[in-house]
Amino acid sequence: MKNLKLSTLFTAVALLFILASCHKDKNVTPVVTPVTDGFYTLNQGLQNDDNSSLSFYSYTTKQPISDIFLSANGRGVGDTGNDIEIYGSKMYIVVNVSSTIEVVDPNTAKSIKQIKMFTGTVAREPRDIAFYKGNAYVTSYDGTVAVIDTATLAITQNITVGSYPEQLTVANGKIYVANSGGLNYPNYDNTVSVIDPTTATVTKTLTVVINPQDITADANGNVYVLSAGNYGTIPSSLAIIDDNTDVVKSQANFDAGVFTVVGSNAYFITNEGGVGVYNTTTQAITKSNFISDGTAITTPFTITADATSGEVFVSDAKNYTSNGSVYVFDKTGKLEYSTTVGVNPGKIALLKK
Amino acid sequence: MATIVQHLIKRFWCKPKCLLLLLLLPLHLFAQKKDTTKNLKEVNVSTSSIPKVQTVTPSQSISSNDFDRYNALTVADAIRDFAGVNIKDYGGIGGFKTVSVRGFGANHTAILYDGIEINDAENGQIDLSKLNLNGVQQVTLYNAQPDDILAAARSFASASVIAIKTIQPNLTANKPYQILAGMNAGSFGLINPYLQWEQRISNTWSFAINSYLENANGHYKFKNTNDGSDTLQTRTNTDVSDQQVDGALYWAKNDSNKFNLHINYYNSDRGLPGAVIDYNPYSDERLWNKNIFLQSGYEHTWNNGLKLLLNTKLSQENIRYLDNDAPGDLIIDDRYNQREFYQSAALAYHLTSNWEASYATDVSFSSLGANAYEYAYPTRFTLLNVLVSKLTLQKWLFEGNLLDTYVTEQVKAGKPTAAKSVLSPTLMATFQPFKSPDILLRAFYKDIFREPTLDEQYYFALNGVSRNVKPEFAKQYDLGFTYRKALNDFLDYITFTADGYYNTITNKIVAIPNQNPVISSIINLGNVRMEGTDAALKTQTQTFDGWRGVLSINYTYQYAIDVTNPGDSYYRDQIPYTPKNIFALNTGVDYNHIGLYYNQLLSSSRYFLSNSDHANYIDGYGVSDLSLIYKFQIDKLPAVISGHINNLFDESYEVVRSFPMPGRSFILSFQITI
Repeated sequence: MKNLKLSTLFTAVALLFILASCHKDKNVTPVVTPVTDGFYTLNQGLQNDDNSSLSFYSYTTKQPISDIFLSANGRGVGDTGNDIEIYGSKMYIVVNVSSTIEVVDPNTAKSIKQIKMFTGTVAREPRDIAFYKGNAYVTSYDGTVAVIDTATLAITQNITVGSYPEQLTVANGKIYVANSGGLNYPNYDNTVSVIDPTTATVTKTLTVVINPQDITADANGNVYVLSAGNYGTIPSSLAIIDDNTDVVKSQANFDAGVFTVVGSNAYFITNEGGVGVYNTTTQAITKSNFISDGTAITTPFTITADATSGEVFVSDAKNYTSNGSVYVFDKTGKLEYSTTVGVNPGKIALLKK
Repeated sequence: MATIVQHLIKRFWCKPKCLLLLLLLPLHLFAQKKDTTKNLKEVNVSTSSIPKVQTVTPSQSISSNDFDRYNALTVADAIRDFAGVNIKDYGGIGGFKTVSVRGFGANHTAILYDGIEINDAENGQIDLSKLNLNGVQQVTLYNAQPDDILAAARSFASASVIAIKTIQPNLTANKPYQILAGMNAGSFGLINPYLQWEQRISNTWSFAINSYLENANGHYKFKNTNDGSDTLQTRTNTDVSDQQVDGALYWAKNDSNKFNLHINYYNSDRGLPGAVIDYNPYSDERLWNKNIFLQSGYEHTWNNGLKLLLNTKLSQENIRYLDNDAPGDLIIDDRYNQREFYQSAALAYHLTSNWEASYATDVSFSSLGANAYEYAYPTRFTLLNVLVSKLTLQKWLFEGNLLDTYVTEQVKAGKPTAAKSVLSPTLMATFQPFKSPDILLRAFYKDIFREPTLDEQYYFALNGVSRNVKPEFAKQYDLGFTYRKALNDFLDYITFTADGYYNTITNKIVAIPNQNPVISSIINLGNVRMEGTDAALKTQTQTFDGWRGVLSINYTYQYAIDVTNPGDSYYRDQIPYTPKNIFALNTGVDYNHIGLYYNQLLSSSRYFLSNSDHANYIDGYGVSDLSLIYKFQIDKLPAVISGHINNLFDESYEVVRSFPMPGRSFILSFQITI
């Protein structure tokens, strides 16, 4: 009796040994799905969760792919992907907290090269990317703009700009960088650095309202800088720079958190979560409430447009910790369709055939 | 003959060698007296060490003689296997560990140290890895509240309570001191010597000093499955250096009149490895902690049965967080200091032989300072009053209490939160359905809340914003039974408890990022519904020819879903970090002075964010540990040497996203009692 009970105990323990030793070996085998015609949404994820992802919506299949980067490469985008742009035959994903730039094939999201942005063991934390004459210009939180040759994908130069630069844009043969100083709260920066790409030096520094973040240019010689202010006593403000004389020709309060120029319009998201349109020729707001059919977006996060079709893409971050959406409107502000994306959909890139 | 012996004693009383001679004299010399004393043959009286499971609310306990069997060095290790417990472990020796009981967040569990709460008004979460078991007699987890109705009001003010009881000296005039010296060493470069000194001063006074030093480099290898790497990486910046000294003074005139005083100092300096960021393995964050507290308790029982319990606590905590690797010119050097004064008075009285009532009142002042921009420097005043009633009616036992909580705050800058008062009732009952007292049915209903932390109310609440975060309410309904049987054949005893529960959380406190990336808005948004079962089985065999077997099995089932808004994409999805099934087993055999024990913990998968989808999935895992314990003697002094292997099968897993857990590790322990 006693022996039987002991042996049962030992068999049970042995079974547990076996149970405990089998565990699944997770190896994601990459599967490449070629895509054309559609749009990419870069989802930031949450800082420290390594859950930045790349969604793709195909206009042909009308189906979303939840993380095309992961399926194509067998590894994740990393932590807090902040910007995505297509230039030439490559697509560039700027991953802020992982401090990398993923250069991929725009039709498959398959990795061509991963550029690590480090100074020794200190992460530079890249934010935004812009392109001019075969070079990519990347702002980083270490107060620099890195110049990357898009053919060799090597960093050729580093230019020192202001504090915590965010976005940058190209206009009239020059690079304009918005220096937010944002992480140094409450000691914001309030400058725009103007870079001459031929000498790779800052030729001029302009003063705007504190905490400039979004910077974008139109085809009429204007560079728009949206400053966030201090979220309290100093409200958000829009500065317009003449890209010939490099002078701030106007600075006025402007209710927006996101501002971007596509074609002859600028699209913006107000601080209260509304969507508006600004005409860059007449220099006036043409639609203070773009959405015409009452579609409610919980937390509009990023906005872009298709210059040809006039369609407007607005992402919704919902409660910042769950899956978001992208709403696609026609040029009259009527909702065409919506699709589910990842957490904190921060940037959209349109893939043209 | 007796006179000769007395003469010898007088001449040689101070000479040990001759004392030995005295002892060698035949015993019957001393026994030759004219009165009727007889030397009785020694009889060993022992009962089965059946654990106490028939508490009014579910409880699970682990005592110091079992710490070794579970390889428990901290409170987190001690309660890891308990049913209903889910430890959120950030990995490694210095890794932060918080406890979630029955799906409630860490803020809903109160930790009592000898009856007085270890409070953190700043962020409400106690890091259990900092609570070392050195000097601890017992750790008990109670759902709802502890059994004793003579207790500080704070014991009634949380959804669950973990009660830590320290070792009280049990010394005699013949042996007025005891020294315990030991060392733990092993993987992670761990060196951990400790010393306990208990000393009897007189019939009524004694003291105990517990101290330890811990140093470890904390390094371990891990596998990152997200970044496509094949090789193992190493966790760095994980060093830990901490020390603690606890001095306790005890006075006991008799069992109905006692007093204790503790002074405790804790100091730590550690590296924070941070989350494993894909493609960015560097971290240079550091954390310093300096805590000191003074607490005292006085208990008095009068002849008429009236009992009084007084508790006082004064504490101060200093924290410094430094990030050298912050981008740009930013240097993050955050410093906080927290002070608390706490006083509690409780009275209990038997109104009739079967009706006992108690009343307790607690007063506390917490103040918090931080070097944050435009910090509020809040002071919080909390007043708790609780009335408890316990009635026994034949087979029934009813217990109820009504707790009133009053909280008000003051600030140096900005706006204070409005004062509020909340009434929280609790009802409990037990029923003995059969003649035998072995089976007991129990049920309870508890309506309690957790106060928003000072960080939630004030941290970066700028521009005159008064967050006015409301309390997060937790309602619990429980129904269960306990079965215990002392046996006499193969098994020594068997105990089994099973409880089913239904809990709700309303006004869940959530942090939402603001436009300003540095600050966040804290709001009450969220409803959670939890259903689950906790089952625990404990059994032990009799000792046969020196052989004995032990077995303990715990099972947790938790179905906890978000029911805030049907429009949410995660509506009715399992809430983050809550695995549906957890199974824990501890079994072993001992033969005379050697024991071999095996521990197995199995956890099902969980999600780290609200949506239950592939992107947020964290794999389930199983962790096995093995312990070998050998008790022996060195010059008649009891000693123990033990070896432990943690994560025997080198399982690669993580409990918290981006915080991988260590693989196989070893600890060797040695302890001697003088």
